[in-house]
Amino acid sequence: MNHHLFNRISHGLGIAALLAAALSVSFPASAEEKIPRLPNGKPDFSGIWQTTSAADYDLEPHSNRKDAPPGPGVVEGNTIPYLPQALEQKKKNFENRATDDPALKGWTLGVPRTVYYPEPFQIFERAQDVTIVPQFGHSVRSIYTNNTQHPDDPNDWWLGDSRGHWEGDTLVVDVRHFNDKTWLDHAGNFHSDALHVVERWKFLDANTLEYTATLDDPKVYSRPWNISVILYRHREKNFQLIEDYRYTLDFDQYYPPRRDQNQDKN
Amino acid sequence: MLKGNEMNHQGKYKLSRIAALVLGSLSLANVANAADTSQAQPAAQAQQPAQGQDSKLRRSRETSFPQIASGPWNGPKLADGQPDIGGVWSNTISNHGNFEDPQGRGGIGAGQTLGKREERAPSRVSDPVDGHVPFQPWAAEKVKEFRVGFQNPTYPGHVEPNARCAPGGVPKSLYWHGYDIQQYPGYVLFVFDNGTRIIHLDEKKPHLPDNIKLWNGDSRGHWEGNTLVVDVANHNGKALFGRSGEFISENGHIQERYIFSQDGKRYNYVAVLTDPTVYTRPFTVTIPARKWTDADESDGWNLEARWAKTSSKERILEHDERICYENNGGFGLGASGASAKK
Repeated sequence: MNHHLFNRISHGLGIAALLAAALSVSFPASAEEKIPRLPNGKPDFSGIWQTTSAADYDLEPHSNRKDAPPGPGVVEGNTIPYLPQALEQKKKNFENRATDDPALKGWTLGVPRTVYYPEPFQIFERAQDVTIVPQFGHSVRSIYTNNTQHPDDPNDWWLGDSRGHWEGDTLVVDVRHFNDKTWLDHAGNFHSDALHVVERWKFLDANTLEYTATLDDPKVYSRPWNISVILYRHREKNFQLIEDYRYTLDFDQYYPPRRDQNQDKN
Repeated sequence: MLKGNEMNHQGKYKLSRIAALVLGSLSLANVANAADTSQAQPAAQAQQPAQGQDSKLRRSRETSFPQIASGPWNGPKLADGQPDIGGVWSNTISNHGNFEDPQGRGGIGAGQTLGKREERAPSRVSDPVDGHVPFQPWAAEKVKEFRVGFQNPTYPGHVEPNARCAPGGVPKSLYWHGYDIQQYPGYVLFVFDNGTRIIHLDEKKPHLPDNIKLWNGDSRGHWEGNTLVVDVANHNGKALFGRSGEFISENGHIQERYIFSQDGKRYNYVAVLTDPTVYTRPFTVTIPARKWTDADESDGWNLEARWAKTSSKERILEHDERICYENNGGFGLGASGASAKK
């Protein structure tokens, strides 16, 4: 086992302990008094966030693997309720994950994967919308909180169409109109273009968010199912996103033009 | 908590499609003209050719533009004190086809030019006065090579990287599609069709370490009255200035001034580009820009927004998700229709 993998696995064990703690402890509501708020009084999620969970390796509970640390899973009830045929597809995806995972091509992670992918994302929030800029990729996501509705003439979008509203201090987001090209994790868990996600974002304290999502897809799942992850605010000094347009690595070596070795010095 | 780069598990996967990518790019680069103008839109729309769109005011075509003086800002301000200039913006001259003669050959569409040189908009190079980038001889040679190669590519570097859905970078992102400027305490956010720039308004925050190189560089800014002043470092130098091939290298540095008119309807971008390994002297780029509002109609290029569905009578502009690479078969080849919507 190489050192890098060892670190990641031991990190994963830490994650397991953290998650176990998170699931067994109920957080005091008094923390809400200290959360950041916009001028309009709504919770202000602005900041740079990231999960420590192993969700992106596999949403379901799993032992260690060559390409993943073990993880307790983030699915309520542990198992994604696939329809029989979809379960076969999931197994194929899993077998081919080293080549077929869209994230490996630098593709848009989609919803909800962007939230628990192991790179930070930044939230910019205004009264009328919440803008999510992931470090990985280029797919800026807009969650509209201005009482607008899903469009009547939707496309099939990589990120779906996100309409949010506030229930107390919880941002509830209805996401529809997806395409079927993103995966939910590196283990090949997937969805169709009938995916419907309902997200709930709320502060546990000023530096911690609880993110839950209900995923429904009658073409793929036998019933709606839930995931839950904790997001931590990056508080390192001067921490910032570093753009990660992974797909450009295939061709960026050809730019910019280089001075030829034998070209005249002048 | 670990930093992102320590937690990143993707780096070990080596993408192995380089050969396919190169071949695809070379064989199809001749359609880059059409593909490039349509990328970042859903594939179904992306297949529409760019030709014939000019009659619908697809691109702004001012032949001259007003100077805007730096000075105090008397317009509306946000709660954090920034001038309130957010919204949809675009350049007013032309697309990225021709950097030094924006309305000349290649600048406004295949085979089209507007009038005589003196009747067309000036070079984006405002200093030196001859309107040319002061390239060192070797670099000027490379630009010439690119212009030949762009028409008949024999090397992957002859493909304009934006046609591969790479970020437009600095300054080209400002004269491609229209874009969103959003403002937040501590930040100005530029959301382009290809790539996003986060301007940090905290200049005490140091630039990233010098060995980190980025398509859009790393930006630190502050407001001086009506002017957003931005220092851009950490360029990777890979984004060309247009299909005419001008470039900066990873040793370059850009100092930008976004000078806003008092009515908030325009700004002029005035930037000094320095790169002692490519240019003989620093030079200045000037790009005029205008704001689009809820009262404007979409022209499919500078203003690509659609109307939100709302129960009120309010007209609210929205923009589709900005996805390019995935919708274009991976090579920026929108015209290929490789991933057209089912």
